[in-house]
Amino acid sequence: MVPMLEIGRLTVRFGGVTALDAVGLLAGPGEVVGLIGPNGAGKSTLFDCVTRRRVPDDGVVRFDGQDVLAQPPHLVAGCGIARTFQHPTVFPGLSVRENVMTGAHRFGAAGFWRAAFARDGERRLRAHADRVLDLFGLLGLGDHPADGLPYGVLKRVEIARAVAAEPRLLLLDEPAGGLGPEEAMALAGLIGELHRATGMTVVVVEHHMEFVLGLCERIVCLDLGHKIADGPTYVVRRDPAVIAACLGAR
Amino acid sequence: MSAGLNTGLNTGTGPGTGTGHRRPAVGQYAGDRRPTWPYPRATLGTAVAGAVSVPFLVPPYPLHQVTLVLVYVVALLGLDLVAGHGGQISLGHGAFFGIGAYTAAILLSAGAPYPLTLPAAGLVAYGLGHAFGRPAVRLSGVYLAVVTFAVAVAVPPLIRRLAPGGAMGLPVRTPDAPFFTGLDDDQWVYLLVLAVAAAAFTLMRAVVRSNRGRALVALRADAGAAELLGMRPAAIRAHAFAWSAMYAGVAGCLFTWTTGFVAPESFTVTLSITLLAGIVIGGLGTVSGAVIGAVVVTFLPAPGLVSGLALILVLAVAPNGVTGLVRRAPAFIRRDRS
Repeated sequence: MVPMLEIGRLTVRFGGVTALDAVGLLAGPGEVVGLIGPNGAGKSTLFDCVTRRRVPDDGVVRFDGQDVLAQPPHLVAGCGIARTFQHPTVFPGLSVRENVMTGAHRFGAAGFWRAAFARDGERRLRAHADRVLDLFGLLGLGDHPADGLPYGVLKRVEIARAVAAEPRLLLLDEPAGGLGPEEAMALAGLIGELHRATGMTVVVVEHHMEFVLGLCERIVCLDLGHKIADGPTYVVRRDPAVIAACLGAR
Repeated sequence: MSAGLNTGLNTGTGPGTGTGHRRPAVGQYAGDRRPTWPYPRATLGTAVAGAVSVPFLVPPYPLHQVTLVLVYVVALLGLDLVAGHGGQISLGHGAFFGIGAYTAAILLSAGAPYPLTLPAAGLVAYGLGHAFGRPAVRLSGVYLAVVTFAVAVAVPPLIRRLAPGGAMGLPVRTPDAPFFTGLDDDQWVYLLVLAVAAAAFTLMRAVVRSNRGRALVALRADAGAAELLGMRPAAIRAHAFAWSAMYAGVAGCLFTWTTGFVAPESFTVTLSITLLAGIVIGGLGTVSGAVIGAVVVTFLPAPGLVSGLALILVLAVAPNGVTGLVRRAPAFIRRDRS
């Protein structure tokens, strides 16, 4: 397998605390990997490194042969990487549709003059955003301000924004957080279908175990900055160390 | 990709929302694109017809004031790009306004035809906007206000020393109405300013509705998340600032056309503060806020007790400005507030 995403010896220290200690992770093209672990295990920090929000103290992050850590943050999207955040970062002051359109920012016209006159491009972006909104059941909220929506809807809008970027690697940070059990499973189904339709690689951080078990072929478990398990879902879910760290008494 | 995937998420009662929450009243939040007024085209047509007929109905002095309103509309459209959409405070727009006004006045007194002064004023202000904006926007938040404040303070003394006319100011010829139109000069100037303001309005609407306008709002809300979508914060903010300065410069040129006289005292930091107060009272982040703000700038007394109290009152009663208040009115009347 040629890895699409290749993380090696990733090390991040916050003062005296080692948030990630030489963590390695490989994800092949089209793989869906679950990243689990208790709070503080370093899952979000790992995402931050892959998206260049944080520069690790040591390690490599390569995506599709490119050195991600050598890119400035605004070019990470151009590499084909999109992510969502644990707390949704939907932009207030824009409508729901406009939020999803910002996901496709890199497909839009560059420069103020060209952007002002790019009416065709704008129409295409809008149609693209509407298709994504439709997938997520949000079309009726398109003109709605992104402010003043419930948490679960904001999470969906944020995922829709990431999907609108047409990434080849989608990093989802607790997508099911704040959703009810039924909504969460519906979302897992939707992400699974998107994955099958587009062939993108997906890495999901999630505490909702049914969500992870239903969606992911492979699971990586972190605990206190160390990788304690990495393997097919059916193996990892029975791993005693994983059960002790994340699943509790089951 | 949209090949009929059944999301299963659409379980609510609303029309395809599935959220089941109570929707906020229209106008309560910025970024609301739900229609508020059912007759936009008819309203636009009436407004255009009204604006074009003003010079034939209004006596000269009020006409002069209405022309000034349009001049300030252009300046506030520009300021709103930085302050309303970008969420940054510029205290330097009075200076860019003055630079545009003086560029036009100097060219006119050198015998240049007046149509040439408009792009010249815009270009000079655009260039200076880039020169000041590029380093300044890298600084966060209040630092842009400090740097632009310095510009606002420095420009009037520089004009007094270097520009023709010095402290006495510089009288210039205002555009003459072409003979065949049979219009008075002030009517002609009004129509010129109206045409420029309408073009500026249309262009700014296209900009704020384009991906650059969305990027500005996104950067204001969460620069880190916006950057991950491929937006370059420094470049986008710098260009927005330069555009904003260009609008101020164009407005300055229109000011020269309208008044036929420029003096350093017209473009002090007081003007910058008045413009900022105008856009806040009119409504930040909306193009119609610029129109209401321009009326405020023209008719409100210079910064002092009255305008200060007006500003505080607006911020307390209607944080989205007069525009936000108007947008909320229908819901308010129906007692449909949430």
